[in-house]
Amino acid sequence: MMMRRRTLFGMGAGLLAAPSLARAQAAPLEVAGVYSLSGTFANVGDLLNKGTQMAVEHYATAAGQKINYTLLDDQGDPGRAVRLVQEAMGQHGIRHIVGCTNSAIALAVAKEVHARGGLYIHMAGADEATGSECNRSSFRWPGASFTAINATVRPFIQRNPTAKRWYTITGQYVFGDSLLSNLKLVLADTGHQLLGNSYHSLSEREYSGYITAAIAAQPDVLAICNFGNQTVDVLRQAVSFGMKRNVKLVVPWSTGLDQYQAWGADICDGVYFGVNYWHGVDAPGNRVVSEVVMQKTHAATNYLQACGWAVMQMLVEGAKKAGTTEIPALIGAMEGLVYEGPTGTETIRAADHQVIKDYYLMLGKARAAMHDANDFAEVISATKAFQRPELTGCHMA
Amino acid sequence: MSGQVLVFQVLNGLGIGMIYFLLSVGLTMIFGLMRFVNFAHGALYLAAAYAAYVVSLLTGSMLWGLLAGPLAAAILAVAAERLLLRHTYAMPHEAQILITFALALIVQEAVILGFDAQAKNVPVPDFLAGIVFLGPFVYPAYRLAVVGVAAVVALLLWVALERTRFGTILRAGSESTEMVSLLGIDVHRVFLGAFALGGGLAGLAGALAAPLRGVDPFMGEEALGIAFVVVVVGGIGSFTGALLGGLLIGVVQSVMSSVWPEGARLMIYGAMALVLLVRPAGLMGRA
Repeated sequence: MMMRRRTLFGMGAGLLAAPSLARAQAAPLEVAGVYSLSGTFANVGDLLNKGTQMAVEHYATAAGQKINYTLLDDQGDPGRAVRLVQEAMGQHGIRHIVGCTNSAIALAVAKEVHARGGLYIHMAGADEATGSECNRSSFRWPGASFTAINATVRPFIQRNPTAKRWYTITGQYVFGDSLLSNLKLVLADTGHQLLGNSYHSLSEREYSGYITAAIAAQPDVLAICNFGNQTVDVLRQAVSFGMKRNVKLVVPWSTGLDQYQAWGADICDGVYFGVNYWHGVDAPGNRVVSEVVMQKTHAATNYLQACGWAVMQMLVEGAKKAGTTEIPALIGAMEGLVYEGPTGTETIRAADHQVIKDYYLMLGKARAAMHDANDFAEVISATKAFQRPELTGCHMA
Repeated sequence: MSGQVLVFQVLNGLGIGMIYFLLSVGLTMIFGLMRFVNFAHGALYLAAAYAAYVVSLLTGSMLWGLLAGPLAAAILAVAAERLLLRHTYAMPHEAQILITFALALIVQEAVILGFDAQAKNVPVPDFLAGIVFLGPFVYPAYRLAVVGVAAVVALLLWVALERTRFGTILRAGSESTEMVSLLGIDVHRVFLGAFALGGGLAGLAGALAAPLRGVDPFMGEEALGIAFVVVVVGGIGSFTGALLGGLLIGVVQSVMSSVWPEGARLMIYGAMALVLLVRPAGLMGRA
């Protein structure tokens, strides 16, 4: 009798375990990350990739399938990125792609993944990614240039009503132009004056001439329309030329902590920054990211790590809702998906596949006011400022 | 562009030009003496900037960093010359370019491995943290100090090259190494000295640039591009040419920032093309 009971118990346990065994034996989910681990954007791509890798290790599975992650190093070249994606999808059967280091790469990869019937989740900054270039296969996590400008410039204007005269220094490429055109619209809408703009090339590293031109225009506000190391250099040189004395400095698109560390507190003090992510935000999703990153790196999470994490989390959350990683079902499940992301409750808008999330306006603190080594700035406002779907130009293909 | 803005931009351009001179003088000196194309020049600049960053972090004083940077670059230059580059002097220029380019990549990747790929801030020394008013013109005190250092270096180099025995040997070596050798002078030691001096100058430029632009692993290749333009404009191997070339490029870049901002960087190369059309050997070069 005892034997029979044991046998029955064993059989029951076996039956209960069967579905999970079946799941465990399911083919792994192959996911490729497209990042620039060498070339001009290597400093950005490296951290994005690490964020994605940490998310892969943390979640481990998507809809019961073990996640296998493959890195595709595009070396900052959109053409190479497309070739690598073609190879991954064509020869290795990978259908799930995440990541990008800049907008040009994302826009090129998005077309390729869509044409091959895959899924692509990225962090491009150009409006076009969920606008005129949108497609059903592609999803974007961060707020883009419309969001960056509207979530920083409008609250800035409310706080500084007397700062009427603006000057801009802009990187001359898709994203810089996109920030500038959105800024012009907001300034026109609020009755502010744009005194002038200095474009500079993407290879520029010496900005004193542009800053001299800005000083000569005698603006109340200098806005820097760019991203990455060029933004770091422009702000550093503007501060060194004493512009903080009588000009408000606004950086509508910054990456937050890693750039604050590159500037140091003395430069950040009194400068307004727009950021997509801040490690100090108290939200359930952010607590998860922060704990994992702290455990792995013994440091606070920065935007790039959070971004890399978020694109993988979106895939996992979508698969969880769909119960499968099959592309059509996954895309359907992701449209309208609500989940706890790194900035709080985040929603994927079905109309253009844009994640609706907070974008923060931050004000740099004086060194003496910092509570810890990462406390460079305080959050002034958190805004979900997104272009209305009918105005994005997105016609879902 | 108003007259006042033009004056601002010319003054600013002269400042940029002095920094470019400092960046390129070591490169032109090494080529002038040794006919050696050193693509690792930017790597020495990079190594010095990071040495300055580390030492300023450890000591809390950028002044120590400014001393450590050139020293580190000079030591690296000597080590590279003794262990590797001396074996390449007889090789064609193409081989020297490949070898020094590889060396530059090794230094760059070592920096990424040792630190990471992120830019780091290097604070300006406290007593140079402010701005200076030159009439209506505002200029950062630290930038002005860098211009001053570059001017002093230019003067000292001129004295060293024109008024000392070492300078005489260097100049003679640049004309004919065989003749100098026949006179009983150890040319290899002269080469080593030139390499150390060239490296030290690249290092000084790197250490001084660190508070101006921060440090990142890719600053070396950017610096190398500018240094080559200045050397070609000034005339390869010419000390005075490096000074004139640096000033010309700095002024063109700064003035064009107001006239045609999006083309300011392009006009550096435009100026180089124009100079080469008029004087194919550069401003002070000899055909």
